[in-house]
Order: sequence, then structure tokens, then C-alpha cells
Amino acid sequence: MTDCGCTKAKAELEEYLHHELCGEDAADIFAHLAGCEDCATEHLIGRTLTEAVQRACKEIAPEDLRDQVLARLRNLQSAH
Amino acid sequence: MATALLERPVAAPPRGIRSRGIDSRGLELSVMTTDTPSPDPSTVGKATPEAAATLTRDLFEEQAMPFIDQLYAAAMRMTRNPSDAQDLVQETFVKAFAAFAQFEQGTNLKAWLYRILTNTFINAYRKKQREPYQGTIDDLEDWQMGGAESTTAMSGRSAEAEAIDHLPDSAVKDALQSIPEDFRLAVYFADVEGFSYQEIAEIMKTPIGTVMSRLHRGRRLLRDLLAGYAQERGLGQAAGQKDLGVQKP
Repeated sequence: MTDCGCTKAKAELEEYLHHELCGEDAADIFAHLAGCEDCATEHLIGRTLTEAVQRACKEIAPEDLRDQVLARLRNLQSAH
Repeated sequence: MATALLERPVAAPPRGIRSRGIDSRGLELSVMTTDTPSPDPSTVGKATPEAAATLTRDLFEEQAMPFIDQLYAAAMRMTRNPSDAQDLVQETFVKAFAAFAQFEQGTNLKAWLYRILTNTFINAYRKKQREPYQGTIDDLEDWQMGGAESTTAMSGRSAEAEAIDHLPDSAVKDALQSIPEDFRLAVYFADVEGFSYQEIAEIMKTPIGTVMSRLHRGRRLLRDLLAGYAQERGLGQAAGQKDLGVQKP
């Protein structure tokens, strides 16, 4: 595989994934990904990793916690 | 006699007495004015701040409470246990409420709350945990971290995405818990919360370059750990075989 933009793409893939590139750079990467299977696979892994982390990190605060926080805010206010 | 008694209380607290029978019982009046905690000025003065305080609290609750699940999730990744996470979230809300006057309406409340959460965590909880790598983790070279292009580099990379996708949440959580805290937080802030690098830099009080490096290394470590888990479970191979025929949409 010759360097058809892979070096730049690989270096910027993570920023691309996190929407940190300017429009022009993002467009370059987008175009490159469309034609380069190697980089597209790398990007797919990156995206999948992000999605897996998002899925795993979902939490719902216990109902108790919500009540405790509200109670403390009310106490704080009456103390002042 | 009556005039002598009258003059004193009237001169001292002029307002509280005015409506009452001044001339009938001078003595009682003087007692009243010293005992009752200045009725008129206090009710006039208190009514508005109290209402304002309630309004502020209502506004705070309306704006900040919807973030409680997210803050709890972040606190879970920070403290790694539900009881500490709950304490941390409570502390965060109390501090945020106390500082709410300094919050500039119209700016990013979520980022502001995360800054308080992270500060509180670092000040109160991190001290309790032993963190032997503190201060040195950013200085480690890539080769010490396992390398940028490691074992999974050439073989079955499309299978790798499939394998990560099929790992149970518990495996992903385990992997997250096992990477260094600064890396874990950077990954969490970017990938779960969707904060910009600039926002993460402000939350973690580090330069953007450090954020990028923590993110990159954190994700690299995660990816390697997950590839390892997948291999242990035979996910990589199964996915690899499947991958030959089935393409992801």
C-alpha cells in the first residue's frame, strides 16, 4: 500500500471521530476513507470502540440519590 | 409619669410601636420592643430575599437535576463504586448550588457541572486511592505502554470491530476500570459525554495536547484489552469466520 493519504488519515482519524477537525480536513479524511479499505476498517474499529464505551457507561442514578440531593439543597437554603 | 415612660421606647425603635397604644401602657411597650425581634423591618427585609432564594433553587433544580444520571455515571467511572459515586454526586450538587450565582446563564452548564465534579473528585477522593502512577503517566513513552501498533495490527482487523461490538458491557467496564485514571477520564469525557477537546482541557485543567495524548493512549489501551478479552472468549475467531460472509451494514 503506497501512501495515498494514509499517513495523514491515520494520524487524524481520532480527531475526525471526535469532530475536532476543521471542515476542510474533515472532508479530506472523508474522501480518503471512501477509497481506502485499510483506513476505513481502522475508522470502523474506532467508531465501534466509542459505541461500546457509550453502551457500557450508561447509568441511572438511584432514586434515593435524587431525593437526597433535593433534601440537601432545601436544607442548605433554609440554613442561610 | 406617662410622658416620661413614653419617650424612651418611642425614640429607640420608632417603627414597631407606632400602630399600638403608645399612651396607655408605656412600660409594657418598652418590654415588647426589646423582646420581639424587631418585627417590621425584618419582615419587610426578608420577604424578597427568601422568595429570590427559592426562585434560584427552583432554577438550579430545573437546570441541573436533569444531569444527575450522567454525573452519576461519570462518578461511577471515577470512584468505581456506587456508594462513593453517590457521595461524590451529592457533594457536586451542593457545591454547584453554592456557586450557582457565579454560573453565567447561557454558557455550558453541563461542562460547568463536570468541572465541579472532577475538582471534587480529585480533591476528595483521589487522595483516598493509591495512585502510584500519578504525575508520571503522561511521561511514559508509547513503547512502554504496549506500542501504537500492537498485536492486532495485521490480522483480522475487520473481525476486531465485530468482536468489540459483541463484548458484554461488563468486559468494557472492566477494561475501562483497569486503565490509568487520567486516560479513563479523557476517554469518558470525549467518547461518552461528547465534550470537545477544549472543554476536556478545561475540565481536567491540562493543555489540549495532553488531552489528545491521554485520549489516544487510553483508547489504544482499551482496544488492546478488549482484543484480549475477545480472544479469550473466542469472539475474535468466531467473528472472523462470520465476517468472511457477512458484512456489517
